[in-house]
Amino acid sequence: MDDYANPWLHRLKWAYLLLVAATLMGPVFYVMYISFNANGFGANQYEFTLEWYGLIFSDQLLMGALGWTLRLAVICTLITVPMALLAAKYYKAARNKVLPVFLFLAPLFVAPDILGSALLVFFKNVNGALRSLGDALGTDALDGLFQLGFGTALIGLIIYTMPYAFVVILITMGRYKPEQTEAARACGANGWRAFWDIEFPQIRAGVFSACSFTMILCFNEYTRTSLLKGGFDTFTTVLISQMLNTGMSEQSYAMSSLVSFVAIALIGGIILYTLVRSDSLAREARAKAEPVMST
Amino acid sequence: MNALGTLKMTETKPAAVEVRGLAKHYGSVVALKDVNLSIAAGEYFVLLGPSGGGKTTLLRTIGGFHRPTHGQVLLNGVDVGHLPPDKRTTSMVFQSYALFPHMTVLQNVGYGLKIARMGRDAIREKSAAALEMVGLTGFADRKPHELSGGQQQRVQLARAMVLNRDILLLDEPLAALDAQLRKDMCLELKHLQEKVGITFIHVTHNQEEAMTVADRIALIADGELVEHGRARDVYRAPHRAFTASFVGENNILRGTIREVDGDDVTVDVAGHPVRTGRRGLAVARGAAVTLSIRSELVRMGGPGEALHSLPGRYSESVYLGLTTSHIVALAPGTDMVSRVVEDLPQVPEPGAPVVMSWSPGDLRLHVD
Repeated sequence: MDDYANPWLHRLKWAYLLLVAATLMGPVFYVMYISFNANGFGANQYEFTLEWYGLIFSDQLLMGALGWTLRLAVICTLITVPMALLAAKYYKAARNKVLPVFLFLAPLFVAPDILGSALLVFFKNVNGALRSLGDALGTDALDGLFQLGFGTALIGLIIYTMPYAFVVILITMGRYKPEQTEAARACGANGWRAFWDIEFPQIRAGVFSACSFTMILCFNEYTRTSLLKGGFDTFTTVLISQMLNTGMSEQSYAMSSLVSFVAIALIGGIILYTLVRSDSLAREARAKAEPVMST
Repeated sequence: MNALGTLKMTETKPAAVEVRGLAKHYGSVVALKDVNLSIAAGEYFVLLGPSGGGKTTLLRTIGGFHRPTHGQVLLNGVDVGHLPPDKRTTSMVFQSYALFPHMTVLQNVGYGLKIARMGRDAIREKSAAALEMVGLTGFADRKPHELSGGQQQRVQLARAMVLNRDILLLDEPLAALDAQLRKDMCLELKHLQEKVGITFIHVTHNQEEAMTVADRIALIADGELVEHGRARDVYRAPHRAFTASFVGENNILRGTIREVDGDDVTVDVAGHPVRTGRRGLAVARGAAVTLSIRSELVRMGGPGEALHSLPGRYSESVYLGLTTSHIVALAPGTDMVSRVVEDLPQVPEPGAPVVMSWSPGDLRLHVD
């Protein structure tokens, strides 16, 4: 607050910020609140329990879905983040940046159901073409190569998460000065060493953030996954299916809360770490800056 | 070794850096045009010129950061045009500090040694010695952001010098420093080069900086090597009109050849004849030429010797601290400046007739 600001206006701004935060997080906290109620959703009486959390692990449907989701998220992250990193590096080096950035970010602006159904049609057509090719070649090895399943869901998720990972990494890369790579090369480092020793440590936070972001996006994604997944269920598809058919079980509330706890802890941890680190660096710099050296 | 032996060794030793017919094009933009240059081992060589003239491109091409469009770069007699920077015998100091912010000063300095797989103790020892050389002992554990601009440049110097390469490239190393610090660092650079005896190639657009450090200067403009020579010669006896206009404070006068008489040439300037040496240049009567004379060689007042003076009208004086520049209009659009250290007993009124004169031999003829 500056010296001339109205203190009530200052308080009002803070109240507004808290209201926005409450609007954003209210539903999540409400689900968490329900997950600790022994009497479940909609009950008149609230009785605290951890029972539903204990029961999560005995719910085969939920655990199976969680397992598939985790596998998808991990593999998607392992593929997407290096690809996004490479794309961001090439983008930074590109002279004409308009076309690449448009192409990389375009999937963000396509509605998920349109992209999902487009991929569905695409995979079906590719399967048909491969089957015909296999018939012509006298082999059935090509049949069902793009049959709906883990692979197609993974491709859908990679396409979905790539632009986000690209943007997150690119933002961190924006602060990196390419002269440092040149300086490393002048010191005798080859291209890979210059990247690994000099550039990567400086963009590491962005890469890890992109990993966390991609994992969380994979957990959140419903439309593309439900269209492309074939015969298995993910965490979100189970939850939505339950909600539409029988209503969510208490274990589902507990599982949703658990996933939210993990996501919030992860993102909160990154933010907290960044704030604490920049604060400690600033304090260190102030402490070490000596007025006696003018040159 | 006898004197003859020493002479033979000197004669057969290849230049530290030689560029032959070097050109660099970016699409239709020509950054360097057919540059030929030879820099001796142990020389402090300065590439001087206006911004965008191509001097940094030339330096970066020598360092391996640009691949030449055509032409050769030879380091110690070996063609290295195909080699990346890490395979060359050069190290580099960048304009924008380019220190590694996540490393300490000591780690920055020792990075190249680490790449060269030197032992940890040897790295520490050599890096500490390099820091001592640049006067930064005691700063080893600091991070770059905790240093001033001058200190960061010294760390860059130490990082480059510790590699023991025989050619150091400096790309506008002092451009980001304030004027006083730049002067101090200039002298430090010069002393350092004399101490270590390796070849320094220093890019700058600042002529004072160039004069302070250079054994030889090359003037680069519009992608061309305009002129090169000993710093003193480039300043005192520029061959090209561009050099005269860029180095020192020269009066540039346009004129037409009136008469050629052996080694002497008479040129009409602002309607008056002046005489100058021909310097072996091919000139013909009626040709348009340029004359130059350093402003500190021009005297204002007095009768002036025929053919070595020009009349004009006093315009104004500009006080520059150590010197004062007196500006005289010879004709509309043609001014002449006399720069003097001492104060004149009486400064003419604006518009008063004055004579600008000089000693025979001070005025130089240019035909480019």
